[in-house]
Amino acid sequence: MTNILDDYALMSPLRHRNNWLKLAIVLFGLLAGISSTSPVTPLFIAFCMGFTTVALGRAPLKLYLKLLLAPLGFAVTGVLIIALFSGSGQELLSFKLMGYSVLLRKDGLELALLVLSRSLSGMCCLYFLVLTTPMIELFAVLKATRLPESFIELSMLIYRYIFVFLGMAISIRYAQTVRLGYSSFSRSLRSLGMLGSTLFIRSWEQGDKLFLAMNSRCYDGKMTLFEVHRPVRVPELLLTSAYFLLTLALLYLTKNASIV
Amino acid sequence: MIILETRSLKYTYPDGTVAIQDLNIEIMKGKKIAFVGQNGSGKSTLFMLLNGTLKPGQGEVLFHGVPFKYDSKSLRDIRKSVGIVFQNSDDQIFAPTVYQDVAFGPANLGYSKERVDACVQQALEYVGLSHLKDKPPHHLSGGQKKRVAIAGIMAMEPEVIILDEPLSNLDPVGADEIVDLLNEFNHFGNTIIISTHDVDLAYRWSDYVFLLSNSKIIGQGTPTEVFKDPELLKKAGLRQPTTLEIYREIERRGLAYGRNSPKTIPELVNTLKPLDLMWVDVPPRVKEGDSLNIGVMYGEYATQSPYEAVNATVLHIHPNGRAIVELKRKGIKAGGILIYDTNNYSLPEIKQILKDGEIAFVGAMGKKSKILAEQDGVGLDVSSGVVDKSILMALCGKRCLILTAGGMVDHAFKRIKEYVEKSGIEFTVGVVNREEGCMWLKETGDNSETLKI
Repeated sequence: MTNILDDYALMSPLRHRNNWLKLAIVLFGLLAGISSTSPVTPLFIAFCMGFTTVALGRAPLKLYLKLLLAPLGFAVTGVLIIALFSGSGQELLSFKLMGYSVLLRKDGLELALLVLSRSLSGMCCLYFLVLTTPMIELFAVLKATRLPESFIELSMLIYRYIFVFLGMAISIRYAQTVRLGYSSFSRSLRSLGMLGSTLFIRSWEQGDKLFLAMNSRCYDGKMTLFEVHRPVRVPELLLTSAYFLLTLALLYLTKNASIV
Repeated sequence: MIILETRSLKYTYPDGTVAIQDLNIEIMKGKKIAFVGQNGSGKSTLFMLLNGTLKPGQGEVLFHGVPFKYDSKSLRDIRKSVGIVFQNSDDQIFAPTVYQDVAFGPANLGYSKERVDACVQQALEYVGLSHLKDKPPHHLSGGQKKRVAIAGIMAMEPEVIILDEPLSNLDPVGADEIVDLLNEFNHFGNTIIISTHDVDLAYRWSDYVFLLSNSKIIGQGTPTEVFKDPELLKKAGLRQPTTLEIYREIERRGLAYGRNSPKTIPELVNTLKPLDLMWVDVPPRVKEGDSLNIGVMYGEYATQSPYEAVNATVLHIHPNGRAIVELKRKGIKAGGILIYDTNNYSLPEIKQILKDGEIAFVGAMGKKSKILAEQDGVGLDVSSGVVDKSILMALCGKRCLILTAGGMVDHAFKRIKEYVEKSGIEFTVGVVNREEGCMWLKETGDNSETLKI
């Protein structure tokens, strides 16, 4: 049953906490991470967020590390280039690579570490949101942002039907596979085309049925969204404030610090 | 009282396919109705006509004697009163969570937030899915989705609920749960209409059956009337219900009484002819025509209850000392069935009953009771077809306990009483923990008794 990230979020115990609190934590983490001038604060944020997601949010550690690995791969390549090709000041290391001399300077290294830590903290913050807040909880948030009603209604219906069509697509693909629809490249292309066109027609039909279903339950052009009221509890508030204060303190203390 | 009625109804699809031709039906309030027919016989179209989704080409549909009007306000009233559950739950459930889907109907009726919440809670509790209210539908099983779809309709408190093939694609236990649910809903006086091509279901479940074939009604009546006519069934492209078929075959072989057509397995078992004659060893002085006390018989020789006092008349004595006797029986002990209302549930009481009542067989009906039993570790021997199986066990001299709640208590009690009355086989049946007592208990007076614990 756990195929997509939304499924992990649905099972997370943190799902049943106040959405606004979670959003505030994430937003604060992002801003604090980006405005920090030393890598210490972002690393602290990344650690806190990661810990919360895995320990309190019960995201599987293996999955979490795997998820981090993908964007970290990009970040590390970028950071290597920054470290080796930018900056001025004290030389820390120099070596020859295929006839070119490569220099690692103090400034470059510091900048690289900062970039790396910032991107790590950003990712951890977002993963916290992704792994603890499923889409169905966010509809209420969307509503509060005064987005047009029809936009929210549409997104609710789309969310539901993504899974219906996903199931449909998987079974069509399976039906094609068992009849060797994907045995060669050209056949794969043809099968994929058929899958797409069938899905299109099915979704068209599904639209008709949807209208019927809504009509038979007295649809009058408005879908009411029922928001679950989830008050912020005292321990949550205390923990969040402690985290905010610690982060701010770190931010202030490491303002001019350099770790290299 | 007629709740829904059609008069010379006709519907043709835009492409010219005739789906319904000259249809005149009357549906009585509070009944369980089944429309039986092959695929494509027009059942689904008829249902859409019955709740105003489609507008008939000719003729009219009447609700409580008033013809349907097709302006938006009248349609709203009709759709509130006549709920429809689609065959494919994925077509019906469109909201991102279970709660929101069930709340859709009541919210459209303009109820206040509190009332919507109350409706939804009640409907979800009723179908036994309160614990899943925040789940998205794609995390539910087929049976759960069906129950969400039913809850979505029930939350609007309709008078008539129409279900298109309610048991298709469900496993046997899931199907039994849906049937239990429908029975309970019917017990509160609501009319239930289903379409099916499962003749066994229509035969044992419904009060009244319509046979549809090629967009026409070709037969109607009580299930017993409709399903005993093989020609009619052949015309409708259906076969006889299994129980009826077995009964016909054993009747033809002289092994069963020609009574009413049996619908359930206990009824079928009850039609079996007991042995009238048997070989026994007789003492030397006995003459033909003498009466002989054979004593208490049990096991396969006892036909009406597990222990029987048997007197026999000697008809013929064979030279080797054995005689043919005709048996006269008197049942002395059968089992009993206790029904426990889980609305007043207490675990110590159940344990007490299980221990003191020498209960050998425990069953639960309804989701709530099953969940309770599971939570408290009350071992269930059976959780589907509970009433039938309990009757069969009681016939074998065992004592059974049925855990159930609310309207299901009366339903189960009525079913068992009916069986006792029809078959003439006495076994004790009673409701344990009802303060107000049970109405059938009073009506039938002395021929039933509550098993005292």
